[in-house]
Amino acid sequence: MSDEPAPPLAEAPLGPHAPSAPPEGARRQRLHPLTPLLESFRFLTAAVAAAGIQAFTSRNFLFAIYIALAAAVVGGIASLIALQYRGFVVWGRELHIYGGVFTRSHRTVPLDRLQSVDLARPIRARLFGLAQLNIEVAGGDGTDARLAYLKADRALALRSELLAIAGRPAAAQEAAAEAAASEEAAADRDAGLLVPQVTVKRLALASLLEALPVQITALLVFGTAFAVTGSIFGFSTVATTLWVGFFAPALLGYLQSTVAAVNRFLRNGRFRIARDGGNLLVQRGLTDTSHETVPVDRVTGVAFDEPVMWRSRRWRRVEVWTAAVAQQSATAVKSTTALPVGDPDQVAVVAAAAVPDLPSVFDVERPPARVRWRMPLRWKRTGAALTERAFVVRHGVWVNTHVAVPYARIQSVRVTQGRVQRMQGVATVRAMTAGGLGHDAVAAHRDAAEAVAMAAELRDRADAAAARERPRLS
Amino acid sequence: MSPKATPVWDLWPGDLAWQPMSPRLRTVWVLRSLVNVFLLAIVAAVGLVIWLGWDGLLWAFGGYVVLAGLRSWTVSRTVATWGYAEREEDLLVRHGLLTRRLSIVPYGRIQLIDLSAGPIERMFGLTTVQVRTAALGSTTEVPGLDPPVASALRDRLAVRAAEVREGL
Repeated sequence: MSDEPAPPLAEAPLGPHAPSAPPEGARRQRLHPLTPLLESFRFLTAAVAAAGIQAFTSRNFLFAIYIALAAAVVGGIASLIALQYRGFVVWGRELHIYGGVFTRSHRTVPLDRLQSVDLARPIRARLFGLAQLNIEVAGGDGTDARLAYLKADRALALRSELLAIAGRPAAAQEAAAEAAASEEAAADRDAGLLVPQVTVKRLALASLLEALPVQITALLVFGTAFAVTGSIFGFSTVATTLWVGFFAPALLGYLQSTVAAVNRFLRNGRFRIARDGGNLLVQRGLTDTSHETVPVDRVTGVAFDEPVMWRSRRWRRVEVWTAAVAQQSATAVKSTTALPVGDPDQVAVVAAAAVPDLPSVFDVERPPARVRWRMPLRWKRTGAALTERAFVVRHGVWVNTHVAVPYARIQSVRVTQGRVQRMQGVATVRAMTAGGLGHDAVAAHRDAAEAVAMAAELRDRADAAAARERPRLS
Repeated sequence: MSPKATPVWDLWPGDLAWQPMSPRLRTVWVLRSLVNVFLLAIVAAVGLVIWLGWDGLLWAFGGYVVLAGLRSWTVSRTVATWGYAEREEDLLVRHGLLTRRLSIVPYGRIQLIDLSAGPIERMFGLTTVQVRTAALGSTTEVPGLDPPVASALRDRLAVRAAEVREGL
């Protein structure tokens, strides 16, 4: 039932601008029957775990079996019913997505506004050969429509179909090529890559080195705290009361940082990035694979991260900031990893692909020495510079980051001067980019006169850069 | 004036024609701070009366007078720091007594222009212009303008924004 061929495209019945809805009888395409099972994956795991714990503690195995049986039966029936109401129809130039049993929902996605269609394959879906499509549309809130789950080949076909309807033939060809390529040998697919695929060994080492300082610090703090309190109160008392009440939650945090490091490693495994026309294509994931498309003309900034332990190896990570067209939504800005770890020359290649002519090594100027006492650790690694193409700021201790914002992407500029800063005659310059908070280039503690001059210069260069790339849509 | 006391906006390279706000803005803001302190004083008075008996009312009143005096002094000094300047390509807004702020909004990046007026502001015939760009948290306010000045500013901004549209 889920593999039936897609019905032929119907012409929009009332002309191109009329509000169209698929007729009652239009054949809805169903999602894969395993969908509810996969979507309630976490819930199921939790239920199984709860039943297991129950069985373990009360030795009442029969009870646990009853619970599991009841959950399975109720869940199965509910999901079968729910599946009947879920589906989608490609009708004219629109995609209609239906869902919900008690609260029916019907979402219409105008395909003219299609920004990107990303194919994601979480591990639980990959086990069954399934995939999900994330459909992003320009404008509006919660613009992320999701089709989950479909068979992988069908998802690819649907993706190229949607892109073709959206009038993005280049992207559609790319999607088709990708579909074809997925059957070919891996060696052939390396042809269009910007940088060679990141090796597992390097990625593992990089993840480990990045997590190490935090972990060592945490362990040292725990160790000294334990030793000090232990020598005062006696180790047995400490072990029972303090340990459970105070250190255990802290240890949980430590564990969480480990999990985050492992997650990052899994997410960035088999990382491949390619450039296709005006888009960066990112494909990554060891267990959960995902394909992402970053339109280069939407890049508002590039961040180069350098964790403290990578410094000796001269490795860096590249993140790309993009702003969706949606303005009022807090999730409008997102940063996409463009290179999880790379040598200086690889970083340079990726940077130049993300923003034309963007260098990857910057010569930033530090804040005046009189503010050094305010930032003893950071001072050496803080700075700002007005380069030819972009406004570059540098900050951070554990992870030292260079942020480069192309002049043409600067929205507004702000100069602030706090009361301590006023006594020192310094000020902070903030260049804001479209999208969320925290995605600004902040040059902290510049000399007051220099800060104001910098703001004026930023504005001039922003106008010049914007004029150069006019006419520009959006 | 020592060099360190020079407001950061006076260091701008080149000349700027700063427009002051309406003189009534000071009255409005002083009134508003008096009302705010009064609400605070009422809350404090209840507590003090319970604690000290009816003497508490006197204490609350005394506290109110002192606080309100201090507050209106700082507020009236703060109002003096507000100002805006229109340049060829952008709008500059300055304000702040302890923390100095200078916002620069290019016309080409303006997405929305709001006019608003609160109840006290309306009594004195004042309007606030708010300018938004696509960056979140970058709302720039120009408070305390006479309604004709505010709508003229809004119209100028809108026209310039339509002329030089620079997108995201």
